[in-house]
Amino acid sequence: MTTTALPNPSASGAGRPPLPVKMVIAGGFGVGKTTTVASISEIDPLTTEASITEVAAGVDDLTHTPHKTTTTVAMDFGVITLDPTLKLYLFGTPGQDRFGFMWDDLVAGALGGLVIVDTRRLDDCFAAVDYFENKGLPFAVGINVFDGNLDHDLDEVRWALDIPDSVPLVLFDARERGSVRDALLVVLELALQRAEEE
Amino acid sequence: MSGSDDTSGRRGEGVVRPLRPYVDPPEEDEPATGSASAPVDASAPGTAASATAAAAGPGPVGEPVRRSLSVRPFLVTAGRTTDADRLPLETQVVTTAAGLDALPSLTFEQHDIVAACREPLSLAELAARLQHHLNVVRVLAGDLRSAGHLTVHAPQADAAHDLSVLRRVIDGLRAVPDSRGLTRDNNRPA
Repeated sequence: MTTTALPNPSASGAGRPPLPVKMVIAGGFGVGKTTTVASISEIDPLTTEASITEVAAGVDDLTHTPHKTTTTVAMDFGVITLDPTLKLYLFGTPGQDRFGFMWDDLVAGALGGLVIVDTRRLDDCFAAVDYFENKGLPFAVGINVFDGNLDHDLDEVRWALDIPDSVPLVLFDARERGSVRDALLVVLELALQRAEEE
Repeated sequence: MSGSDDTSGRRGEGVVRPLRPYVDPPEEDEPATGSASAPVDASAPGTAASATAAAAGPGPVGEPVRRSLSVRPFLVTAGRTTDADRLPLETQVVTTAAGLDALPSLTFEQHDIVAACREPLSLAELAARLQHHLNVVRVLAGDLRSAGHLTVHAPQADAAHDLSVLRRVIDGLRAVPDSRGLTRDNNRPA
């Protein structure tokens, strides 16, 4: 799909740009995706309009071929320069919960994903969990404790989300940079473990 | 999809071009695909969001939009909505010396892109800064690359499975201090 060795029509005077890598921050509307990105990004999160494929997974037409349309959505993202040769981009999925969405553009080549969950509205994240599982993307589920409520029974949440033990479940505070960093590291360590097993 | 875009391009000749004299005429760019295609996909009229609808549908130019953009976004790409390579969002774009030399001769949108990419920028950053739809930037960057005004560095396709890349990202992220200045590894001030 994507070519790695793109022809460069002329030699650039500038040095080679940093290697870009990306992770995807998903979850329902208002669970703290943008807060998460903002906490750790070195720039204020930017918003761009992008196209996503919307699968109308309404109650009526699941039995038929899903009807797909392309929708323009606002997408937030941030960036962390890890070293001069390496930039980590964090893309927040557009927050929708009523439909299934295909974030192929976001997910292609991503190192992993973090699905943010608000325990008061667990079902908002189902679409993201399903999508990442389906894509085989390494991901963790992060319970945002921005309400200060650390009193969640992780086993219950895991049961309610119906995610296997292989999917890490972490508590984190989207407002706290160290907490976001550690949640992302959980995802990356899972990705590394998977890559080592290949 | 391409059918509706081309419709937009052709509409651009008649309706919008007088407002935007610097827009490239679409006919040389897209000789084949625009001619006979069906108009807007009528099966999904209600679902497209504003920009897509503005590019494809019959909405007037003066339709209210959220930003100051006063034209349909894909007009500047002659109706093309994506380039052949489908460059990833994080693709790094850098201006070449030739691009800098050519700055005065470029159209507004191309000029903005070439000027912004003196430092490497991702397509996503570029789109956000210039307030264009991502796919508009994709198309224009593809054009500018073909013209030699930009170099485009696609991300490593298998980065997600590259152990050394993953380890570098993990090490780099561990070194990011939290709000108290502590890194992940040593809980000492960074």
